Amino acid sequence: MTATLASPVESAAPRRTAARTAARLLGALAGALAIFCVLLLAKGADPVTALGDMVASVFTAESLEQIVIKATPLILAAMAVVVPARAGLTNVGGEGQVVIGAVAGAGVGLAVPGPAALPLTLLAGAVGGALWAGVAAALRLVVGVNEAVTTLLLNYVALDVMLYLIYEPWKDPHGSGQPASRPLDLAARLPLLSGTAIHMGIVVALVAAVAVWLVLRGTSFGFRVSVVGGNPEAARRAGLPVARLILLAMLLGGALAGLAGAVHLAGVEFKLRPGLTTNIGYIAFLAAWLARHRPLPTVGAALLLAAVTVAGDSLQLDSGLPAATVNILMGLVLLAVLGWSRRARR
Amino acid sequence: MLVVDILTGGVRGGTAIMFAALGETLAERAGVVNLGTEGCMLVGALGGYAVAAETGNPWLGLLAGALAGAALGLVHAVAVVWRRADQFATGLTLMFLGLGLTSLFGAAYVGKAAPGFDPVPLPLLGDIPIAGEILFRHDPVTYLTFVVAPLLWFTLNRTKAGLLVRAAGERADVLHVHGHSADLVRTAAVTAGAALAGLGGAQLSTAYAHAWFEGMTAGRGFIAVALVIFAAWRPLWVMAGSYLFGAALAVAPALQARGHALNQFALDALPFVITLVFLAVLGRRTLRAAPEELRRVFAR
Repeated sequence: MTATLASPVESAAPRRTAARTAARLLGALAGALAIFCVLLLAKGADPVTALGDMVASVFTAESLEQIVIKATPLILAAMAVVVPARAGLTNVGGEGQVVIGAVAGAGVGLAVPGPAALPLTLLAGAVGGALWAGVAAALRLVVGVNEAVTTLLLNYVALDVMLYLIYEPWKDPHGSGQPASRPLDLAARLPLLSGTAIHMGIVVALVAAVAVWLVLRGTSFGFRVSVVGGNPEAARRAGLPVARLILLAMLLGGALAGLAGAVHLAGVEFKLRPGLTTNIGYIAFLAAWLARHRPLPTVGAALLLAAVTVAGDSLQLDSGLPAATVNILMGLVLLAVLGWSRRARR
Repeated sequence: MLVVDILTGGVRGGTAIMFAALGETLAERAGVVNLGTEGCMLVGALGGYAVAAETGNPWLGLLAGALAGAALGLVHAVAVVWRRADQFATGLTLMFLGLGLTSLFGAAYVGKAAPGFDPVPLPLLGDIPIAGEILFRHDPVTYLTFVVAPLLWFTLNRTKAGLLVRAAGERADVLHVHGHSADLVRTAAVTAGAALAGLGGAQLSTAYAHAWFEGMTAGRGFIAVALVIFAAWRPLWVMAGSYLFGAALAVAPALQARGHALNQFALDALPFVITLVFLAVLGRRTLRAAPEELRRVFAR
């Protein structure tokens, strides 16, 4: 990436620049929304009604709980993008790491009895995700193949691994209909926050997010990783162990995504089934980029995209449009942020 | 014969990947990675199928598929080349856009019949034993790749346009010195490449599957991107590699047709695993052949 050098004019008037950036971003977001409306019109839907229903559907007690539940794995999986991004890596493999995290979590959670089941399920998820991301990190470090390409390919392999397991060796013999694994015992499930439908996973996710923020901000590891991400050549000349830092950042990211999978399993799904992840990894990637890889704003972005996902269900129920339609809105918004939120760097 | 079946299936199933990978070759030779190839294939698949269904003419469908792919590719080009957005993040966003767009506009075409391309054995060539069966008893779109791949090689290596593309990928500043705009060349290359990806998608829906369903490209676009790397950005190697992946895709149905009870998902993973293994084995060597400007994108 080219270095960002503020021009003298910009540094002389930082406030004006900030205002201009905000205006540009707002304009881009308005543009994204306008394009979305045009597409809905082209499909014969009334955009005003559809968007109104979407917004209205979010503000019910039930929806707000749903948003928190959906945001939980998103926050963790988004951190899996944030940490490698600090080292200059693009982890697009969240989806696969989430799946492997759920698979490893189920493997351990179904085998271990008693009170150790839950912590071991979560731990197995993190280890599984880290190993899966480690494959991409190894290919990057040993062979030099870009991790964006390999993590994407690994997503498909991960999905096939899970499907292979639940269609044969791990299939629940008592299950009916869609193949699935046996459900986790109660001991391996995440308890609910009292008086709500929200499971404890949100606490895990928020703690992890704050931990990531602290580590990146206040530890020498965080600093060194940022140096590697900012200018690997300078990092190398300064004597930093660049390869090891890249590997660590990727493993940590994978562990967070794997944890997301295990938390989603132990908090919501309880058993492996096709369609378990519902694009968690990809939406989390969008959330992390939306927040420009800053840990705490990423939490907000994850909550926002969770809300959009929940609103998408209303699109299906009220307007009869496919729920995946909201993918367009998410894509347009991120495109606006990626390309139009600041002056193009030359 | 099992081998002949797999190889025939390789040519049949590799065609869509080849179009996309040839398109990606063009974009990457100009110095731009388009991870959105998957999305371009998806909109091409739907665009091709929908227009074939509405007009009754699969050739118009093919054209529409190419145009749909090009339109999405142009978005990538504008964001990445003119607005300097991150190439990987934009590419993935494009895939997401493609998923959403085809879900919104494709629902009406799920399970709907449309005229497609049927196999047309070539006279004489199709009668050659074994080789004829493998290569020359396909649909017309497959034959199109026999022309497009060498044509891309010729264009890149023997024409002025190809020289501009290669210059944009190797030394953009040289292009500037000679009064050309690397940005314009890249925009054109990415858009044209995305048109090829759209064509591949349209082949998938109108000639291979004879149907449209959500997410039908199933990662072929990403395989195409990886394929370009270990084919060392050479169109003719891309052609060979595509058939390899087509063959990997064809193993499962060929074995199942013979009554082997195999777990389908172990075989579904095969093309992706093979891609990863090839990248691991050939990556280091072929990456040396990477266009200079592209290397900066890959090794940030």
